Amino acid sequence: MGKEQLGERLASAAGMPKDVVMKAAVLTALGNFEVCIENYRGITEYTECLVRVQTKGGQIRLAGKCLQVEYYTNDEMKITGKIESIEFADGRNKE
Amino acid sequence: MIRSFIRYLKGYVKIRIQGFSPERFLNMCSYHDIYIWGLSPAGNGYEMYLSIADFRRLKPLARKTHSKVILIRRCGFPFFLFRYRKRKLFFFGLFICIILLKIYSLFIWDIHFEGNEKWPDETLAGYLKSEGVAPLMLKSEVDCPGIVKNIRREYNDIVWVSASIDGSLLKIQIKENEDTLLNETGGKSADEKTSAGGKESPTDLIAASDGVITSIVTRSGVPQVHAGDEVKKGDILVLGRVDVVNDSGEVTGYQYQQSDADIFADTELGYRDRISRTYQQKVYDDRNRYQPYIRIGDFRISAGTVSNQYENSELSATEHQLKAGENFYLPLSWGIKKARSYTFQEKTYSEEELREILSGNFQRFCKDLEEKGVQIRENSVKIHLYADSAEASGILYLNERITEEADTEILTIERKETDESVRTDD
Repeated sequence: MGKEQLGERLASAAGMPKDVVMKAAVLTALGNFEVCIENYRGITEYTECLVRVQTKGGQIRLAGKCLQVEYYTNDEMKITGKIESIEFADGRNKE
Repeated sequence: MIRSFIRYLKGYVKIRIQGFSPERFLNMCSYHDIYIWGLSPAGNGYEMYLSIADFRRLKPLARKTHSKVILIRRCGFPFFLFRYRKRKLFFFGLFICIILLKIYSLFIWDIHFEGNEKWPDETLAGYLKSEGVAPLMLKSEVDCPGIVKNIRREYNDIVWVSASIDGSLLKIQIKENEDTLLNETGGKSADEKTSAGGKESPTDLIAASDGVITSIVTRSGVPQVHAGDEVKKGDILVLGRVDVVNDSGEVTGYQYQQSDADIFADTELGYRDRISRTYQQKVYDDRNRYQPYIRIGDFRISAGTVSNQYENSELSATEHQLKAGENFYLPLSWGIKKARSYTFQEKTYSEEELREILSGNFQRFCKDLEEKGVQIRENSVKIHLYADSAEASGILYLNERITEEADTEILTIERKETDESVRTDD
């Protein structure tokens, strides 16, 4: 944890973008029907009403209806459908 | 749109992943830069689309993640070709289509002109045709710089030309000189001078008509008259021969040049316009004959005839030629010939009409003069009505340019005699 805090401090001190330095996930939501996720590690679960994406800092849970992955590459994925909630869970271990 | 078209062209497949951990398989795919789209959960696995090239790379990943890859659907152009591989004629047609497209694209199909106002498209196209540039010529034979040079040489008042090939269209952009209409005569004389300049023949300026000089500005040559002088037709106004004198003021030789000057003079011009009181008017009756026709090359199909027994008849024809594009005329035209019968009827002008016609003619004459740059100071033209005719006559007092070029007389000096005389003087 100390290492992460140091990284965060360094990034804010140097004014560097945190998604590059800390590899933080970048979520871009467009209305409630489209979400773009960058800087993730992989999908852990994917059904029509729940998508769980593993990132460096923890897990992102997207709940909704008719969720669909439009495309899925190494850098970016796009999820469409009726999104009801975006939740940040603290890692896989704590579930 | 374009992306989906490229996908279609390259071909793609829909697959289903089943197994112990299909998510792991997805993450492996993204790690190996395999592009996946349209991912949707199905049963205890996932369905997705990927390209053919990526599909071939899936085997090791599937083995590693212990998942099963099921091919659901093949989409795209390569599969389409494979499905219809036994339809030989289809492929033959496709091949012919490509070949024809290639062959057709080797030719110029149309010529487009832009920016021309004075010279109509037809004239320019006709000129280009005489130079061997016409629709249906090979694109590789089009010499754009050559076309530009030819047009510039042929038309003096086109000041800028650009020729470019746009697909199978030859595009010619033109900029005309807008001043040429105003001083066309001046431009011509300048051209003549330059062409004569090559021969270096000396010229004088002589009076083209009688008059009184009002202003003289000489650029080259020796002026022989002053403002206020009266000159007769043929008098030398500016001499193209310049005397070369020695220290004692004697002429030792001559230098010749082309005279150039603006000389204006007051001149007089007689005007006479006579018209008869009676005239013949055409009266058309309702007897007409029509002959429609279609012409293909030199071959003509027509219906009916225009030959007739009318006393007087007028023959007119209208023809339309089929064209593809703007200047590519096809050898197919259609039209109609028409013969109209008419008779003459003798009529007389009333005095009002006579005055109107005569003054109209005179005004047109004056306008023409003014367009040529002639200034009309005053006129004494009057209309006289006679028993069987009417006349407008009088004198126009003008101020105009009266110069006319003439060859300079070449003089030779007998040197020995002058030398001897000099010696005796000593």
